[in-house]
Amino acid sequence: MRERINFKNVIQTVFRDYLVLAAIVLLVIITSIVEPKFLTTGNLTNIMRQFGPLIMVALGMTFVIICGFIDLSVSGILSLVAVVTISLIEPLGQVGALIVGMLLGTFCGYLNSVLILASGAMKQAEALFITYGMSTIYGALALIYSGGRTKQMSIVKADTSIFSAIGTGTVGILSVSFIMFLVCLLLLYIFQSKTYMGRTIYLTGGNKTAAELAGIPIKRSIALVYTISGLMTALGAIVLFSRVTAASPVIGKGYETNAILAVVVGGTTLIGGNGSVLRTVLGTTLVILMSNCLNLLGVSVYMQYMLKGAILVLAIWLDSRKQL
Amino acid sequence: MGNSGQEIILSIKNVSKSFPGVKALDQVSLEVRRGTVHGIVGENGAGKSTLMKILSGVYQKDSGTIIFDGEDIKSTTPIQSMKRGLSIIYQELNLVNTMSVGENIFLGRFSEMGGMRGVHAKAKELLKSIGSNIDTYKLVSELSVSEKQMVEIAKALSFDSKLIIMDEPSSSLTADEMKELAKIIHHLKDKGISIIYISHKLDEIFEFCSVVTIMRDGHVIDTKPISEITRAEMIAKMVGRPIENEYPERPNCVGETLMEVRSINTKKLHNISFKLRKGEILGFVGLVGAGRTEIVRAIFGADKVKGHEILIDGKPVKIKNPRDAKKAGIAFVPEDRKLQGLVLPFTVESNISMANLDKITRFGFLNRSAERGMAEKHVKALGIKTPSIKTKVRNLSGGNQQKCVVGRWMETNPRILILDEPTRGIDVGAKYEIYLLMKKIAESGGSIILISSELPEVLNMSNRVLTICDGRITGEFDPRTASADQIMEKALEFCRKDLEHERAN
Repeated sequence: MRERINFKNVIQTVFRDYLVLAAIVLLVIITSIVEPKFLTTGNLTNIMRQFGPLIMVALGMTFVIICGFIDLSVSGILSLVAVVTISLIEPLGQVGALIVGMLLGTFCGYLNSVLILASGAMKQAEALFITYGMSTIYGALALIYSGGRTKQMSIVKADTSIFSAIGTGTVGILSVSFIMFLVCLLLLYIFQSKTYMGRTIYLTGGNKTAAELAGIPIKRSIALVYTISGLMTALGAIVLFSRVTAASPVIGKGYETNAILAVVVGGTTLIGGNGSVLRTVLGTTLVILMSNCLNLLGVSVYMQYMLKGAILVLAIWLDSRKQL
Repeated sequence: MGNSGQEIILSIKNVSKSFPGVKALDQVSLEVRRGTVHGIVGENGAGKSTLMKILSGVYQKDSGTIIFDGEDIKSTTPIQSMKRGLSIIYQELNLVNTMSVGENIFLGRFSEMGGMRGVHAKAKELLKSIGSNIDTYKLVSELSVSEKQMVEIAKALSFDSKLIIMDEPSSSLTADEMKELAKIIHHLKDKGISIIYISHKLDEIFEFCSVVTIMRDGHVIDTKPISEITRAEMIAKMVGRPIENEYPERPNCVGETLMEVRSINTKKLHNISFKLRKGEILGFVGLVGAGRTEIVRAIFGADKVKGHEILIDGKPVKIKNPRDAKKAGIAFVPEDRKLQGLVLPFTVESNISMANLDKITRFGFLNRSAERGMAEKHVKALGIKTPSIKTKVRNLSGGNQQKCVVGRWMETNPRILILDEPTRGIDVGAKYEIYLLMKKIAESGGSIILISSELPEVLNMSNRVLTICDGRITGEFDPRTASADQIMEKALEFCRKDLEHERAN
């Protein structure tokens, strides 16, 4: 009788770990009842395609947040990679453009970490401002490079079959971009849970001082997470402009907040040291499903912004409650 | 208020509290009389802190009654209990460093005091009442630890406290500062204020307290007037078994020179050079802030230091960061295990493995079963009390947490082990086990640098003692022949000169 189960704690754990899943199920049930269009193949394919760009960015962001930092530069990198890649299809061919695009994103991410380490920024807030500044720079570079013009894929005088496949192709019932996501998820999950570098990222996020004093290469972890974030953002950019078949120099706008939203809603805490790419998949699913459902239900875009903001605040509030 | 010294101010009856999987307090009963100093001792994890947190309103009790000053307290918050007259001064002081002394004392109550002038006047008065004349306009960041403690006490008094709980007040005080604290405690007692004094240092319990309560595993084992209990009985009751000695026999196996440190110079350190021999325990004695920690951090590569030389086995080694130090066979158990030693939300397993990940990595992949084996080995070897290696290290007691840090470094097979305040805030039993471990390491040919603010610990464990004052090595002693006074004299050399200088002016 004395060893009573602490219900508050059990509820907290359930709330923490399964809330997102419950929300997703609830959302699917309610929307499919209210709006039968929701469960049609067309809509589901649509959801799968929308999923592609955001999940790539959010997966990269997950590691930055696990490491105890944050990356606001993804919107700038996304725009820059998109306009550069699409412009290089003609001169370099599509494989060349793809490779250069990915290298560019990786380099931009790495550059962030170099600046962060050089300035000795060891706090999330400092990284927030540095990456915000870098985002502005990358965004401006995208505008300068493209002359502010949106480039359509249809006017590219070269073979764009790979990009079309990424944008609209399917293998069986799965879209190509979804398969790309599955491959990335698998690799990143193995990286996260099985490798030395993955572990050092968690330890760095858990306690930088203790990790450094135990001989963990924390600077390498920090450089690595930003580089991964840059690479994943480049992949996101490629998936995105392939789907919309055009690259505007402001195509990445809003992706940083959505990615952070997806990571935090998934349950990776902003304080660092814990979280998982699997959680981010749940978080991203919720974010994408929500906007899809709200669109189907005819809720205005402005209202959707408000809801998203509210959910981010709620997620961060729950997040800080967890630390008790 | 009555003047009877026998009146009961606080009565705790059958209070219990559980956390998931742990019964932190089991039917605890306790009475504190007005105007007395009531000591509470017990090993870490005995439930002292939980009980105090229930009293101050941080936690809520599951059952039992608490009567404070005639009032039955059902549930409370920290602010409410402070207003009722029950204050707690935590080990890690809760002051705002960037604000002045006066502002800290009346934080959030400026208007009640009639503006800042009132605040400082009242603060000065309060500080004077406990015999202190700290300038109330000084920033807290400029104060010494004992001065900060005084500010905390003044803050407690500003709420008209009838009972002040002091949780390990002396853990970072030097001998002189201790005397100040003793004076304050007498002042408070004379004013009719009761004190609950929690400490691991039994000397203090005997010095200050009139009654002592001994706790173990969430139970009150005994409450006795201090005159009716001996030190040995107290320890036996705390650990549940008699302990013959507080220190093991000093290891005696000093060999030739293992490491030589040549001229570390920084802003704070001046020409630090010394030798460490094989199998030697070298003690550093000095005040907090004398530069003891800075020396070992420089050696370990934790602070960026240039221009010094470190030779191991006569060969120079370059140590630019803790990784290099680890490769050179140096291990470092830092002074603040919670901030610098452990990753608190992580498991015992990953806290032990974290300095040894290279060992269990092949082609970049971690071998999880090797990691498990590594953790289990040290949990067993060091007797770490934990439900499992998957338990979060946050949930262990201080002593067991410290053993996790030690275990992590034992796995690296260090030739030189640096221990910075290894026994701070841990209980008698765990202390003894750490001493035994030090002995074992020294006897198997390893060398140890021991930094400690507890002089008896350094004197009883070291083969050689260096005194450090104001960033300089001021003396070298053989603790078997030198007296504590001689050593302290050297450790305070410059400070004393400063004092004399000040007095002369």
